[in-house]
Amino acid sequence: MSEEIVLRVKDLYKRYENKVVLRGISFEVRRGEVKVIMGPSGTGKTTLLKCIDMLVKPDSGKIWLKDLELTDPRIDISEARRKIGFVFQEFNLFHHLTAIKNVMIGLTKVKKLPKHEARTIAERSLLKVHIGRELWDKYPAQLSGGQKQRVAIARALAMEPMIMLYDEPTSALDPQLTGEVLEVIKELAEDGMTSLIVTHEVGFASEIADEIMIMMDGKIIEKGDPKNILYNPQREETRRFFNKILRIGGGSR
Amino acid sequence: MNSMTSLSKYLPYIFEGSLWSLGLVLGGLGIGFMIGVMFSLIEVYNNSPLKKLISLYIWFFRGTPLIVQLFLFHWSIFPALGIKSTPLTTSITVLGLRSGAYQSQILRGAIGSIEETQMLAAKAVGMNDWDAISSIILPQALRIALPQISNEYSIILKDSAICFILGVMELMTRAKYTAIATGIALIPYLVAGLIYMGLTYIGTKLFDLIYLKMKIPGSVEG
Repeated sequence: MSEEIVLRVKDLYKRYENKVVLRGISFEVRRGEVKVIMGPSGTGKTTLLKCIDMLVKPDSGKIWLKDLELTDPRIDISEARRKIGFVFQEFNLFHHLTAIKNVMIGLTKVKKLPKHEARTIAERSLLKVHIGRELWDKYPAQLSGGQKQRVAIARALAMEPMIMLYDEPTSALDPQLTGEVLEVIKELAEDGMTSLIVTHEVGFASEIADEIMIMMDGKIIEKGDPKNILYNPQREETRRFFNKILRIGGGSR
Repeated sequence: MNSMTSLSKYLPYIFEGSLWSLGLVLGGLGIGFMIGVMFSLIEVYNNSPLKKLISLYIWFFRGTPLIVQLFLFHWSIFPALGIKSTPLTTSITVLGLRSGAYQSQILRGAIGSIEETQMLAAKAVGMNDWDAISSIILPQALRIALPQISNEYSIILKDSAICFILGVMELMTRAKYTAIATGIALIPYLVAGLIYMGLTYIGTKLFDLIYLKMKIPGSVEG
């Protein structure tokens, strides 16, 4: 992990009508760092990720991707977004495109690469997430959930992002399919991909994270390295949260 | 007997009318499609005063009979604007404007039925609004709308018969002239009716073929 800061979030606030979802979130992610956000449902984790990609506009606070202030309304946000990889809980592959075209379209439409070049990059990205040649021309509806999510990761990866944001990437998957997706995320992280991951997978988080942040009621209430957070949390809420998910989830992997 | 032999001479004349009818239909459907795409996009994605104008437009074209629209455009609106329009061009224009009102509603529904997350994913990849709409939203919406556009085809086909009122040389007009010239009403109108049925059949079959070809493998809808 380098000292270079890739993502900086400062004092982020967001409210939906009368519900405050984010109340003053600040943190940084360094190059190569893997940061995991955990916390109960409905505490604003997804909103936070969407704010970072400016898919949801924060009410106040600032976000920088390296030197570029994303919250500055004068920047070309589409241009900035291509440098951020976003992986959705529900995959959100483009239904009318084959697996490989899903990966290619950002390269041809956004990066304006010629088709053959886009295809080469797409093939490389798909192989990286272990989507073999036989699946490249399949449509999303013909893929399993785990395959869909891995194609979605390849789609984000192909754009050569500075950081990957994962929004509960395995929450929509059957338990037997989560492994293949987590494995891919882990491999990418080990390759040095800067990652910000929202997940409920305790075992995975403790294995992969440089730091875990615990989010509750729109705030980061505690953060630290996985061992401390898991085995020696400072806050009672954190302890209760882990007790609950470990009981329900049947323990870590 | 004499009138029957002269009737057979008229049959090619009636058949030729089907080309005119087809011209009216394809012209109207095409113009309507372009208007439909434009208006539906404005209705879904644009929050400008244009929306009010569009709903007024739709209200007018869905709220008045085709025959009123044909007369209005041919005898007052076009002359008032100084546009010299033949019965054929007026008919195609009016059929197109009218179909645009209907197709905009078809497409608006289709666009509305696509999950918002498709747009979100497109933006996350870095697409701007237009790229997202043209390469993600519209291709999916058109697949969903296709059966209804096929339906629209069969409606315009029959609407086009009303253009006989301006004297366009389409099927109905020719059937009528034949009936007058030969003194036989049944056969010319029967032939015209059969041709309309044939065109409906062929057209909707073609749309079915396109639908099957465009259908996304593995998916239930679209």
